[in-house]
Amino acid sequence: MRKLYFAMAALVAFGSVFTSCSDDDEPKWNDDDSKVQLSESRMYILNEGTMNQNNASISFYNPGEGQPTFITDVFFDQNGGRLGDVAQCMIKYGKNIYVAVYGSNYMVKLNTACVEEERTLFSSDPELQGGVRYIAAKDNYIYASFYGGIVAKINASTLKVESKLKTAGANLEGVAIEGNSLYVANSYERTTNPETGSNVYNYLTDVFVIDLNTFSVKETLVVEQNPNKLIEEDDKLFLISNNYGRESYVLQMIDPAAGNKVSELGYATNMAAGDDMLYLVDSRTDYSVRPFVTTNTFSSYDIKSGRLNSASFLKDAPSELATASVYMMAVSEYTGDIYIGVTNYSSSNGTMYRFKQDGSFVSKFDCGGQNPRDAVFFN
Amino acid sequence: MRGHKEIKLLRGLYVRCFFTGVATLLSLHGQAADTDTITGKVHQMNEVTVTSRRAPNRVSAAVPVQTLSIEDLTQLGVQNMADAVRRFAGTNVRDYGGIGGLKTVSVRNMGAAHTAVSYDGAPVSNCQAGQIDIGRFSLDNVGMLSLAVGQTDDMLQCARLYASAAVLGITTERPSFSSDKPAQFRIKMTGGSFGYVSPSLRWWQKIGSRVTTSLDGTFLRADGNYPFTLVNGKNVTRERRNNSAIDSWHGEANMYYDMPGGGDLQVKGYYFYSKRGLPGAIVLYNPVSTEQLWDKNAFVQAKYHKAFSEKWELQAQAKYNYGWNKDTEEGPQFAGNHYEAVHKQNEYYASATGLFRPVSNLTVALAQDGAVNTLESTMVGCPNPTRYTSLTALSARWRQSVLNIFGSVVGTYITERVESGDRPHDIKRVTPSLSVSVNPVSGEMFYVRAMYKSTFRVPTFNDLYYDRLGSRVLRPEKANEFDLGLTWSGTFFPAMDYFSVTLDAYYNDVTDKIVAFPTTYAWRMINYGKVHVTGLDVTLSTAISLPKDIKLVVNGAYTWQRAIDVTDTDSPNYKAQLPYTPEHSGNASAIVETPWVNVGYSVVAVGMRYYMSENIKANEIDGYAEQTLSLSRDFRFNGCDLTVRGELINLADAQYDVIKFYPMPGRSWRLTGTFKF
Repeated sequence: MRKLYFAMAALVAFGSVFTSCSDDDEPKWNDDDSKVQLSESRMYILNEGTMNQNNASISFYNPGEGQPTFITDVFFDQNGGRLGDVAQCMIKYGKNIYVAVYGSNYMVKLNTACVEEERTLFSSDPELQGGVRYIAAKDNYIYASFYGGIVAKINASTLKVESKLKTAGANLEGVAIEGNSLYVANSYERTTNPETGSNVYNYLTDVFVIDLNTFSVKETLVVEQNPNKLIEEDDKLFLISNNYGRESYVLQMIDPAAGNKVSELGYATNMAAGDDMLYLVDSRTDYSVRPFVTTNTFSSYDIKSGRLNSASFLKDAPSELATASVYMMAVSEYTGDIYIGVTNYSSSNGTMYRFKQDGSFVSKFDCGGQNPRDAVFFN
Repeated sequence: MRGHKEIKLLRGLYVRCFFTGVATLLSLHGQAADTDTITGKVHQMNEVTVTSRRAPNRVSAAVPVQTLSIEDLTQLGVQNMADAVRRFAGTNVRDYGGIGGLKTVSVRNMGAAHTAVSYDGAPVSNCQAGQIDIGRFSLDNVGMLSLAVGQTDDMLQCARLYASAAVLGITTERPSFSSDKPAQFRIKMTGGSFGYVSPSLRWWQKIGSRVTTSLDGTFLRADGNYPFTLVNGKNVTRERRNNSAIDSWHGEANMYYDMPGGGDLQVKGYYFYSKRGLPGAIVLYNPVSTEQLWDKNAFVQAKYHKAFSEKWELQAQAKYNYGWNKDTEEGPQFAGNHYEAVHKQNEYYASATGLFRPVSNLTVALAQDGAVNTLESTMVGCPNPTRYTSLTALSARWRQSVLNIFGSVVGTYITERVESGDRPHDIKRVTPSLSVSVNPVSGEMFYVRAMYKSTFRVPTFNDLYYDRLGSRVLRPEKANEFDLGLTWSGTFFPAMDYFSVTLDAYYNDVTDKIVAFPTTYAWRMINYGKVHVTGLDVTLSTAISLPKDIKLVVNGAYTWQRAIDVTDTDSPNYKAQLPYTPEHSGNASAIVETPWVNVGYSVVAVGMRYYMSENIKANEIDGYAEQTLSLSRDFRFNGCDLTVRGELINLADAQYDVIKFYPMPGRSWRLTGTFKF
């Protein structure tokens, strides 16, 4: 009798799970405890802020119809406290947003209305005091890189650090996941020349490939020195190394299908991917004129065909964008719209330029904070 | 991210690296001989000669000169050098909080590197960071502080002070012997909030009729972990400022030799050591702070002065300065979990000034300085530069009953050598100044004054050589100062010692300002900024001697300032008020001296300002008023003096930041016992 009761209870529970998964009942977004009514289509912009000013923020922009169209610091409005100091990386995973804040050295989990659900502070762990950098997610885990060589495996629900991998690296930067592998850029080391006692930056040339099943480094790839930004698109990885010795930063592709072969594609200082396309910008500064002038060259790389198109992917961009400081690029996975965030550093808020997938200019708007760093979309 | 880190490092270096040298714009000695008679009168009472209180501002000077005497400093409960300097009109003191925090002074918003600091007449230098941390100077043996804007009419100064836009003069107390005893000792003990303990010892000795010596030693320690309130939206928490402890030693020996035949020689040895935690900015959710700074500074300086005749005078100075500091930080972001940077600076400095009075109304002076500055540093890519500086100042003064005209021309030649890479271009510049003071009404202490001065600051070693950020093609940053002022001093009734008022309107421009210019991924120093500063300084002071030996001294200062960025007409911040520049600021103080107890009260008030370039609501930082109350009483027995003083600082427990996220202490106290025998 008791067994039958349990079986029935289980059936009911199972049924209710099914019911709750149906499109009719479950809300599209997880907006619990939201203090503001948000439109269905959403773009959240992560503003890095300026170091030691605790002015990192998240702005809301409505790329579609309806109200509101923009909220300057939706994180503050929803949670009643500031995001912190130097926001570094923001990702979307399921119906949640995860934000890594480098200066404040913590990670926060938000719902789709930017309401905080969990947070984990890293500063109490001496191994993690170097600061959190980039994050990537898979199978209910968040993987975070840290200055100091650690990759942390964090439960995406509870934000508990379940495991830490001490790599042979020093200051880790970009992370990306392809298949069951996590790729981590090992950028540079701050050390001392044993002979002269001088401080030096030792630029490194590694990308670690970490097997997510065993959470251990299975391969170390050799790349251009000072690898930094890393993204995945179409089962390939794209990496920018900030090699100060080259004419500009170096764009490389890592192909897991070809035994993680690393090939150089050209020069780029920033990138974003969407719909099999890699959007690139190469910003170069002429220091011989006063004041210095930075010139941006936009180009694209067709990942499927492997063709680099040196013509700009932008059609009627406002002229000032040619010499602005591009700080981020993002592509909406829903519309293919391309967003280019430029920075005015600490002198004023950044500006976002929005283009359609075909490169036609849509609008530009104030980012609501300084140094736009990242963006995620919900639609 | 390196860009950010570099900026932080640069800021850190500015915070960390300063070096001193030392000596005076106006020695006490020199001021006593000044012609500003109303402020230096002498009373005889009870057979003890008491020099009456001087007015803090010299009304007859052709340029604004403000002073604070040791009496004022102690009676008002002034806590440290920065607390004193912020009471001068037109100053902008950046105070990063606590006892060990960096404190720099910018005068009329030209930038801290344009303000020279002189210690007993010799300039204090820091070629690496440019700005001087005034927080490190002890007030224990200070006799007088002065702030001169533009060109003072003290003609026997060294050429470097002629070359500066403003001079903060620190003059140490010179031994004076009121009885027949050849030796005088002072033991002072101060204790206060946040673990503050500071004992000090002083020994003044007369050796024969011509030599006096002084020896000073001060130790200071504090935990500095004061509480503060952190407001983060709806979250209001009570926190403590951690990693703020300081230990410091200061020792100084002076020898004054009154030479036969009229010469005067002063030799000084100075040593300073400190170890302190640098708590840094408050970073939300991350309390980790491990940065430590060690400083050592030692120098010897000698000053010789002789008046050969009514017409000829000579002053010569020589100085050797050694500065060392070490900065450490812990964390896994550094190899071996440890970061350490060591910087050493040497300065060899010599100066001679000759003064000639060909006719009674005219004085001409020629000053020549030579200096060699070196830096050895473990910072990334430091080329260990050596800078050779020659400064020549020719000045002339015409003084007549109504009119006082003063002009100077300073020639600068600087050349630099580096161990690696390109060396910067040599600097060759000539800069003039002119000031006029008119006394239109005979018998009245009423003056109209006007001043123009052209100055510049040279790029610092950090500006030039900081890894990737520095630029070796920098030119000097230029400044022009204009001042128009009215001053009056007089009395309204016999008991009034003086009533002085000064009013100065000014305009400065700074061009080719050396700023970090952002490019997409790396910042670099460039001569780019342009700043216009318009302002008004008003000072008021009075002293009244009441019956029963009661004396009242009241001072006030007010500054209105508009300092705007006019670099780029297309910038959103074009004509925006510069960060940390209040439009209104001021202070007031009152001292009541009675035979029973002395009371000092002061308030320093600063209006709203912005902490970032953009003048928007989000960047506002609230104004504040800080009040201090001091009570003291003197006891005399068996020829000994004991003074007991209690101070209550920040009476109203105001919570404020001078620099955003560097909270200042709330209410605190200090108790001092001073025993002289």
